[in-house]
Parts: sequence; C-alpha cells; structure tokens
Amino acid sequence: MADSPENRGWIRRLWSWIWTPAVAFSSGFLILAGFLAGILFWGGFHWTLELTNTEEFCVSCHTMETNLGEYRETIHYNNHSGVRAICSDCHVPHEWNHKIKAKIMAVKDVYHELAGTISTPEKYEAHRLSMASAVWKKMKASDSRECRNCHNFDYMDFTLQETRAASEHQRAIDNNMTCIDCHQGIAHSLPPDYLQTYQEVTEALNAETRPTHQQLAENGEAIRSYLTSGAD
Amino acid sequence: MLEILGTIGGNILGLPGILGLALGMTTRRLWLGAALGALVGVIETLLFAGWSFAHVEPLELMIAIVVGVGAGSIGSLIRVKGATV
Repeated sequence: MADSPENRGWIRRLWSWIWTPAVAFSSGFLILAGFLAGILFWGGFHWTLELTNTEEFCVSCHTMETNLGEYRETIHYNNHSGVRAICSDCHVPHEWNHKIKAKIMAVKDVYHELAGTISTPEKYEAHRLSMASAVWKKMKASDSRECRNCHNFDYMDFTLQETRAASEHQRAIDNNMTCIDCHQGIAHSLPPDYLQTYQEVTEALNAETRPTHQQLAENGEAIRSYLTSGAD
Repeated sequence: MLEILGTIGGNILGLPGILGLALGMTTRRLWLGAALGALVGVIETLLFAGWSFAHVEPLELMIAIVVGVGAGSIGSLIRVKGATV
C-alpha cells in the first residue's frame, strides 16, 4: 500500500488534485470562480506595482536621499502651476512591457542599496557620472519617452515661450533632437565632464543603429546595379 | 544581462506570456499552440514599435517570440493534461 493516496507526499497529492477533473463543481462555477480570482490577483498585482511607483517608496532607501535633495530644488518639484513630477514619472515607463522591464531592472537598485555602493557622499560622487550616463542612454534610446508623457512639441505654443526657448525647440524639431539632448541635469546635479560623456553615449547609440559606411556603400552599389539592369 | 532579464519578464507578464498561454490552451496540437504564441510575440513587438518594422529591435522581437512559443506550448500541454476533450 506504499502508493496509496494517504502515503503520498503533499506535493504529489496536490499535483494529482490539480489534474483530476472536477466532479463537485459545474463548468460555470469554475469559470466564474477563475474569473473572480483573476480579477483579485491582477488587481492586487497592479495595485502593488503602483505602490512601488510612489515617491515614498522610491526614497525609502538611504541612498536616495541625495537624489531627493537635488530634485527638491528643481522646477519639477516646486513650481507656479502646482503640477509635480515624482520619481516614477521620469524613470518608469507607462507602457506595460516597458514598465515591467524597468521594474525588473530596478532590482539592481536594491542590490546596490544592500551592498552600500553609493552609501556615502564620496561613493555617490564617484558613481554619479556612470549613473547619469545610464539614464541618458535609456532616455536617448527611447526618444525621451518618459518626458513626452507630459511634454510634447505638438502641444507647445512657441509664442508663449521665451525667445531662446522657442528658437531652441524649433531647432530641436528641425534636427530631430530629443529632450535629453539639451535637458540633462533637469532634476539632478550634473557631474563634471558630463557633456563629453553624453557625447560618447550618443555616439555609441548612433553606431548601434546607423548603417556603417561599408553597408551604405554596398546598398548604393545594389541600387546602381538594379537601375543599370532595369535600363537594359 | 539585466536588460535581457527585464525584457523576458515583461514578455512573460505581457501579451506573449498571457495571451500565448491562453491561445495555447485552445488546442491540443503542440505546434499550433507554439505557432499562436509566436504570432502573439510578433504582433506585440510590432504594436509597441508603432507598427513599424524599422523601430523593431531584433533582440526584443526574438525574446517575444521565444516567450510566446514557450507560453503557447505550455498552454497546449495544459490542454492535453487537464482536459478530456
């Protein structure tokens, strides 16, 4: 009787219960129960995820104190309109898959909090440039997606902007630039030599996305060959 | 590495994972479940790239398809194991 249900472990009994057809419940009951359980689970999951988007949650770690102090000096924290952008507005995407990706990648922040990577002002300054460049890289690659949740060239009335701002925004549109190209340090202090590092970030991204001279030459050759054969 | 893990997680909790699993559960044919999952992976990547192949990142597309295939296959296996019809 070693294989009798009573002698099996709870994992095997649970596994067997999962795959045994239900006889006590109707299909409608199971569908409705599953639907309600799904709503509860998904609602709870989403609610918990939203809690991790609050400013209280973001700055609950000791290492975020420096960021918080700097951000509180900026227009995104205190301004005449009373609109405030909190950490998640700039650092967490709205679209579901991008948001989940950002949340999973944020696990590294917990690790560095525990490891004390930026636990002192000296350590923080030593890592400031690398932290900033990581954010710039993300923003440049996504065409400043998180900035554009609130700001949009299409919604800007250049006549209401300062002359310099209006002309720079027009230049940005004309040259296909993105917000972070000019607005580094909008919410946190800038490290020394940041412009050089930003240039390196943009060059590295351009090298990844743009075709090489060799590819351009090959493409040009292929087009020329096609046109020549078409003429024949 | 974190980028890849994040993309995998986003796809598991996104359309390829959830809809792929659901579509997989509609068939007992493993290949069909996997194909439906892969299709969801392609559509999801295109959806988030604004329906433009030029904006699709090959790595993201590949991960979405792999996750879709996995979820669709698991869905079909669940159908095989858990249903008599």
